[in-house]
Amino acid sequence: MDCAVALTTQAANMPVSEEPLLDVRDFSLRRGQAVVLDGVSLALQPGETLGLIGESGAGKSTLALALIGLLRAPEVQLEGSLRFRGTELTRLKEADYRRLRGNKIGLIFQDATAALNPCFTVGQQIAEPLKRHLGLSKWDRRERAAELMHSVGIPEPRLRLDAYPHELSGGMQQRVMIAIALACNPELLLADEPTSALDVTIQAQIMELILDRVRELNSSAIFVLHDLALGAQVCDRIAVMYAGQIVEEGPSERVLAAPLHPYTRGLKSCVVELGSRTLVPIPGQVPPLDAMPAGCRFAPRCPKAKAICGEQRPRAEIRDGRQVACWFID
Amino acid sequence: MFQAASAKLAQTLLVLLIVSAASFAFLKLAPGDPVGIMLGSDYSKTSYDQLTHELGLDRPVVQQYGNWLADFVRGDWGTSYITNQDIFELAVMQALPVTLTLAALSLLIALVIGIPTGVMAALYRNSWADVLATTLAIGGNAFPSFYLGILLIWLFGVDLGWFPVLGFVAPWEDFWLGMWHLVLPAVTLGAWYVGLIARITRSSLLEVLGQPYILAARARGEPGWRVVWVHGMRNVLMPLVTVIGLQLGGMLRGAVMTEVVFALPGLGMMVTTAVLNREYIVVQAGIMLTGLLFVAVNLAVDQTYQFLDPRLRRR
Repeated sequence: MDCAVALTTQAANMPVSEEPLLDVRDFSLRRGQAVVLDGVSLALQPGETLGLIGESGAGKSTLALALIGLLRAPEVQLEGSLRFRGTELTRLKEADYRRLRGNKIGLIFQDATAALNPCFTVGQQIAEPLKRHLGLSKWDRRERAAELMHSVGIPEPRLRLDAYPHELSGGMQQRVMIAIALACNPELLLADEPTSALDVTIQAQIMELILDRVRELNSSAIFVLHDLALGAQVCDRIAVMYAGQIVEEGPSERVLAAPLHPYTRGLKSCVVELGSRTLVPIPGQVPPLDAMPAGCRFAPRCPKAKAICGEQRPRAEIRDGRQVACWFID
Repeated sequence: MFQAASAKLAQTLLVLLIVSAASFAFLKLAPGDPVGIMLGSDYSKTSYDQLTHELGLDRPVVQQYGNWLADFVRGDWGTSYITNQDIFELAVMQALPVTLTLAALSLLIALVIGIPTGVMAALYRNSWADVLATTLAIGGNAFPSFYLGILLIWLFGVDLGWFPVLGFVAPWEDFWLGMWHLVLPAVTLGAWYVGLIARITRSSLLEVLGQPYILAARARGEPGWRVVWVHGMRNVLMPLVTVIGLQLGGMLRGAVMTEVVFALPGLGMMVTTAVLNREYIVVQAGIMLTGLLFVAVNLAVDQTYQFLDPRLRRR
């Protein structure tokens, strides 16, 4: 008994970087027969930011929803392991998971206009996690909500507390969304395309705001993005997803500068770059979930595909400080 | 805000004017000659002309309508030929409260049964609750209320003897005795509404629960019951109130049947008796009062929208 206590104390005193904040191992998610996420593995250290990059339908948002526990059995079937601060999330009871949501794990939605309840004031919606997780009194909630609104750059927060979402602009609504997600100082922030529903002029502002807040709170963050260059710019690490699998994962600069996987290369070359005259689209489309190739899921669209690619799934290999899943890395 | 309200008011007044013109025309077009009836079988041309003049029936129709409308607004609705009762007194003070009480109680019963059934049907699709909601919806609409009333009287009134079969005791005089008398009529009238409310609740809630803001509420750790009953149902209220308001005409129609079956002295009973006695002046009062009621409910629903949906409020 004493020994167990000693062990826990020791674990608590250990430097935090020893165990990753989030450890996803061989995680699969099935919806009936369709394998939506297939053997996803990634690790996130405290304070680290990761960009999940890929086309729509790659499973990025699904992974984010699964991490916050909004996609669970019996709706979908989960396999493998999701460990958060040493807790196995896939086997967590719903009541315990609820204590993490909005508290230790925050989620920013793509479209704030749709993700804010039209019938409640923004103050009420920001105050909800403060009541649920921190148990603040009504007065304290109002004070803290105003502070949070101030911290995400909403002018005159006290006046705006009683505003309904439709009375705010899209950018302001997304700021409210960020305030809600960060209300309880989460250790992990998930941001699902946080700027793609906004005007180009305020996209950079919002991205900057999220990064500032995350750094200030020393939280880890996963950004779901479809833009490789943006991801590399704002995140420490990049994980490129294709059809429910991670094909390449590693430090941002290296993945962007010298992509190893043919899909990452394709993603890079289909972005218009200043001074470049070439724009090469990736031929074909993501295969439908019920007709996934048995081997590498990218094989049908891959310029380098050989016979083995269609038959056997490549295992992730560590190369140049990153993991790549391809039969022909060189 | 003021502009919208005044436009609404003008529209309402126009509707009331049309209803009053129609009910005035109804009296004019009805077979029979009031002067002849009042004078009896034997009368002279002079006395006929004199009474016609006294009643103002020799004046132009438009003027007659104007006088009648002015009297109506003043509350001078005439006197019943048969009971010699003041019609305003009969309709507004005696019959209207009965009908309003019956309608309110029926609506309450329908809401108390209909909303939980609809929520259960939405949460557990294709379960027993869903089957029950669908059965209630179809059954309630298909089953004629007079027949259901007779069945209820037979089972609970005559056979089991749990509830009184006929009659009315004013709840504002003896609350529990009044309620006891109103249970069977209110269930009869409410049955039609239960299915409707359950169906609207089910379909609206299903739509609302698919919205991103519901997922967002769950993502901040809100428990399931709060997500459904607070975040979800708050948004279901708007379509629900709309349907209830629109179907209130149906409820007034159902009230006529129910009042006759259970011998309740409400508006429906008053009009039915008046029709059988060919007492058109009372029928006319019934039409006007029903029209007023309908318009008032619609105005109330309109005002409720602004209260329920913040997006419709103007600052």
